[in-house]
Amino acid sequence: MGLLWSELRDAVPLIFHGNPYLLSVIWFTVQVALIATATAAVIGLPIGLTIGLGRFRGRATLQAIANATLGLPPVLVGLFLFLILVPEGPLGGLHLTVTRRAVFIAQAILALPYVIALSAAAVQGLGSGLIDQARLLGAGRLQLYVLALREARIGVIAALIAALGTALSEVGAIVIVGGNVYGYDQTLASAALYEANAARYADAVAIGIVLTGVILAMMGGLGFLQHQGGGIRLRPRAET
Amino acid sequence: MGFLWHEVRAAIPLIFSSDDYILSVAWVTIKVALVSTAIALVIGLPIGLTIGLGRFRGRRALHILANASLALPPIIAGLVVLLLVQPAGAFGSLHIAYTLSAVYVAQTVLALPYIVALTPAAIQGLPPQLIAQARAFGAGRVQLSLLALREAKIGVLAAVIAAFGGALAEVGAVVIVGGNIQNYDQTLASAILQQINDYADYPYAVGLGLVLSALILVLIGLLTVLQQRTSGIHLRFRVG
Repeated sequence: MGLLWSELRDAVPLIFHGNPYLLSVIWFTVQVALIATATAAVIGLPIGLTIGLGRFRGRATLQAIANATLGLPPVLVGLFLFLILVPEGPLGGLHLTVTRRAVFIAQAILALPYVIALSAAAVQGLGSGLIDQARLLGAGRLQLYVLALREARIGVIAALIAALGTALSEVGAIVIVGGNVYGYDQTLASAALYEANAARYADAVAIGIVLTGVILAMMGGLGFLQHQGGGIRLRPRAET
Repeated sequence: MGFLWHEVRAAIPLIFSSDDYILSVAWVTIKVALVSTAIALVIGLPIGLTIGLGRFRGRRALHILANASLALPPIIAGLVVLLLVQPAGAFGSLHIAYTLSAVYVAQTVLALPYIVALTPAAIQGLPPQLIAQARAFGAGRVQLSLLALREAKIGVLAAVIAAFGGALAEVGAVVIVGGNIQNYDQTLASAILQQINDYADYPYAVGLGLVLSALILVLIGLLTVLQQRTSGIHLRFRVG
């Protein structure tokens, strides 16, 4: 364990040095994780609920497609996004390659399949009696969605935790679209990659430790919400 | 879409070109995914079965630990493996840093959590009476394990599919431990990263991406067909 141990010992002071570079990377990583997960939730939850609760033809097919997108390699997502965003590409006019915005977009796209596929699965796991009864009592689509969200809260938050996990630790896509520019559009994960490739192992280990801490804190926070019995109440409005 | 289309058209001849670069990378990718998933199965199934079927104290804690290891960022796994196999590290005498062997090791480490965490989840989804009855009839540990594996086949194969998909698509750990050396220890995913970031060679990147997509569709598709065939593999349960 000689080398690992000595790098660990060298790494710890680097963390507590109040290094402005490290602080800015931490802040950017938290921003990316929050914005990507929130964007994926806003776009993905309505789609996931529609797939999970809908009664239209092709619903099973949509669920299968959503499940398949979970296996989409981040590198392919990054490649496709990159080719769309390069100056010669269809959206080249936006000038987004090698910017922080491209990193936000890439991580939001990668978080989306988790929100869609897992929230649909969570809602389908509810007893069908509950949804049928609400329908029978005349619940509109919005009321039905809110009810399902509340009842399937544990599964839906698990979907958000999975989305957040990808946004925090994925590197394949953001390195391609963002270029992994030192001190600019690096997350902790891509910064660790950068340092390890430059053979600065103590820095890489320091960043890795901080990344683990950020993951534990953010995912632990969501996990805490998940298991709070009377936690968030999305109140279904019965009378309108 | 003119630009994208142009790149795809330029990419297709490269796949079948005489230098065999893309196909040889594809072969390395298949080897890495097969070998790492197989080793992870050999190590992980007994552990997963023990957690799923065992009746010892701390079983829940072990399962929580296994679930948490699913969130292990590949970058951190790669970094730890690299520091262990560096010449000055604990396993430095193996001389495998920046070799294909290190890539096998890293991908096995990343495949293991899927098997160890998802196998017990699949087994715990079985009706508890089934296991209890087999125990009452005097089934030994091996018989019990085979029964559970057969009955939870769909869930166990889902774990294998997840592990295999991860091995095909992952880049973070591969790049750190292997150094992403062209024509040697690259997988399709890490080769895409290099073609874009280091060479800005879009047609090659697209060619690699097309082959990676095809591989994922075919291999994951085959595993899924295997999973869904109800009368598929029969691990025969020896009673007498």
